Amino acid sequence: MAVPVTAPTEPVRPVSARHFVRLKLRVMANNLRGQSWRVVLFVAGVFGGLWFAGGGFLLLAAPGFAGEPRYALLTAAFGGGLLVLGWLLLPLVFFGVDETLDPARFALLPLPRRTLVGGMFAAALASVPVLAMLGATAGLVVTAWALGGWVAGLVAAVGVVAGLLLCVAASRAVTSAFATMLRSRRVRDLAAVLLAVVAAMLGPLQLLVLAAVRKADWDRLVEVAAVVGWTPFGAPWTVGLDVAEGRAWAVPVKLLITGATVGLLLLWWSRSLESAMVGAAGAAPTKSRRGPVGGAVGQLFPRMLGWAGRDRFGALVARECRYWWRDARRRANLITVAVVGVFVPVLVNLGGGGFTASSDTGFEFSGSSSPVLLSLSMLFVGVLASVTLANQFGFDGSAYAANVVAGVPGRLELHARMTAFSVYVVPMLGVVAVVIVAVLGEPGWVGVAAGALLAAYGVGLAINGLVSVLGAYSLPETSNPFAMNSGAGMAKSLLTLLSMVGSAAAAMPVVVAAGLLGDSWLWLALPLGAAYGLGAALLGAYVGGDVLDRRQPELLATVTPRR
Amino acid sequence: MTGEHSALALRGLTKRFDGKVAVAGVDLDVPAGSFFGLLGPNGAGKTTTLSMAVGLLRPDHGQAWVLGHDVWGDPVRAKRLLGVMPDGVRLFDRLSGAELLAYHGLLRGMDTAVVDQRASELLDVLALADAGRTLVVDYSAGMKKKIGLACALLHGPRLLVLDEPFEAVDPVSAALIRDILRRYVVGGGTVVFSSHVMEVVERLCSHVAILADGAIKRVGALDEVRGERRLEEVFVEAVGGRTATGEELSWLSR
Repeated sequence: MAVPVTAPTEPVRPVSARHFVRLKLRVMANNLRGQSWRVVLFVAGVFGGLWFAGGGFLLLAAPGFAGEPRYALLTAAFGGGLLVLGWLLLPLVFFGVDETLDPARFALLPLPRRTLVGGMFAAALASVPVLAMLGATAGLVVTAWALGGWVAGLVAAVGVVAGLLLCVAASRAVTSAFATMLRSRRVRDLAAVLLAVVAAMLGPLQLLVLAAVRKADWDRLVEVAAVVGWTPFGAPWTVGLDVAEGRAWAVPVKLLITGATVGLLLLWWSRSLESAMVGAAGAAPTKSRRGPVGGAVGQLFPRMLGWAGRDRFGALVARECRYWWRDARRRANLITVAVVGVFVPVLVNLGGGGFTASSDTGFEFSGSSSPVLLSLSMLFVGVLASVTLANQFGFDGSAYAANVVAGVPGRLELHARMTAFSVYVVPMLGVVAVVIVAVLGEPGWVGVAAGALLAAYGVGLAINGLVSVLGAYSLPETSNPFAMNSGAGMAKSLLTLLSMVGSAAAAMPVVVAAGLLGDSWLWLALPLGAAYGLGAALLGAYVGGDVLDRRQPELLATVTPRR
Repeated sequence: MTGEHSALALRGLTKRFDGKVAVAGVDLDVPAGSFFGLLGPNGAGKTTTLSMAVGLLRPDHGQAWVLGHDVWGDPVRAKRLLGVMPDGVRLFDRLSGAELLAYHGLLRGMDTAVVDQRASELLDVLALADAGRTLVVDYSAGMKKKIGLACALLHGPRLLVLDEPFEAVDPVSAALIRDILRRYVVGGGTVVFSSHVMEVVERLCSHVAILADGAIKRVGALDEVRGERRLEEVFVEAVGGRTATGEELSWLSR
């Protein structure tokens, strides 16, 4: 320890990638220490990885067992390509980047860039998803072995490892570049919204692709797969099959493609790493927006809230309304609701024939929609819209302290939050109802659609109001918009799922009524559905407000991020 | 009425986190009209104590009164008399300064005209009017402290509780904040603030308390606590810090 600081010429032990891997494992272990729920989530993550590895392995090994070289090429090229795409996009959209080793922490250490990049890369490889990937892609090795003997299997194994390196390098390079680009808050807000749109479109896109695949013929697909096999997306995964089919000359070329891509990605990563380490201390200059000179109160209230009283309730609603637009996280949620809210019902109702063909025990109709199916899909949209509020206090974070200090009564708080969200969502639901009946060509059903939407939305508000008080969790406050508290993603989806199931169950009477009451429901749906929803929301705020009054400080503690 | 009660009275406040004791039974009386400094090293439990005193963190044991009103038993009355600037707590920072003030004012049930008038006055005095409609999230650290102070002052509280008001503040803003706080105390208000900067405390406070390891080590009027010595010496002694002996770290001076 007693090395003289003034004598740097003393022999220094070289730092190798091993140190980074050990550091990462140590940090991971310390994160788990004394946090039983984190251990549970970690174990759940490991099981998820095992499940993925097993499923992927079977899927990729199946063509080998079946002795089908055509399918083997398809699964290798498309399956592998999808994996690369997943590594590229999923961290940006859903999971966030594993920030166990933050490059900025190494800024002060005298490490050459090459050592740093190598070390960070090695550390990135030591993770559950990478091991799961390895397990899944081992299926490709089996396929190649079965089709072309042990030489093909060996080459496939090399390819799989190269592909894995490609995946990790791609995901690191892209997220790091994005994170650097997104230092400035305005760009970050914009990007979060764009990504939300992309994420929301993934579902509909998937359905479109599936439909296209159903129509396309196999020969065309195999041709496409062969082309994909020559791009970095498919190259590492198809080398084993090339040997099996006697195109051994393709192997070095494809491996070269892969290697060059990995090299370029690492170069790109090292560039952005450097700027991430130096940091953007001199962030974008603050522009002072010279707005209309008016009273402070006048500035707080957006124009659309002209009707609201200038009192506590009004202030809460106005602040929430501002936040739903100005906070990128919240805005991204709003946009997701809007996109999914329009697309899903259209697909469900138009594809009704396809959906019932697969599960023919469903509803007593064929090929076209019905008030029951319409109510069901509307129920989904209403529930989805309201579930956005499941962690509404988590959005506030420690800023919620202001409301605690001011002693805002719980019911007032919940009423205001529901009102503010509804200012955006209820018009949106109206548009959804009109669009959907227009698409279906059944204008008479607009009442059914709107009634089901409002009922489900109101019930959802009630349940999520309670969930948000009892099951709140903190969101990270970092400069990286993609960072996630480890485990928070899992907790979030569990909570969301629970409250969605609960809301859907509580709103089922609307669907039952649509089935039982027949034509009279066309007229009764809107008033009854709206009353049901409003009543449920008020009841939820009544009960939830009471709970909130009793546990305001505890709620504040749970939504305050740990530092 | 204010003559009978301490501005802030704490009795046996205790808090433990995950089995570790953060605050171990704090008793404190802050006389009305005093400028009270709560001193302590990092991790002494200053923020935890103040959070429990103002109703942000529920104590495991103990009670707190603001001008005779029980903070945990009768929070509405107590909070009405109280202005708070918590440390490290984000404001609702996606609002502009004026919007944030309007929000706090209305939340306190104030009249619109009064909110408008006080908000513009506060923004002028604190030199925040130039920021216009810049969102608070884009403010500098000093500006954030100032807008936080403005939010705490807006409703004219009788007791002001500030956690680290001079942390990360440049000298110009610090002088401004000091000036405003002095005027507030002269006008009959009481200020309690936490800090670990001796100079500020010595210059401003009429009373001090030294907190270490979750317990009050010294308390009283500044001159009583200080005696003939400098406050820093008293502080280091009370906290149990050590001074370098010259033996260790010898390689530094090679």
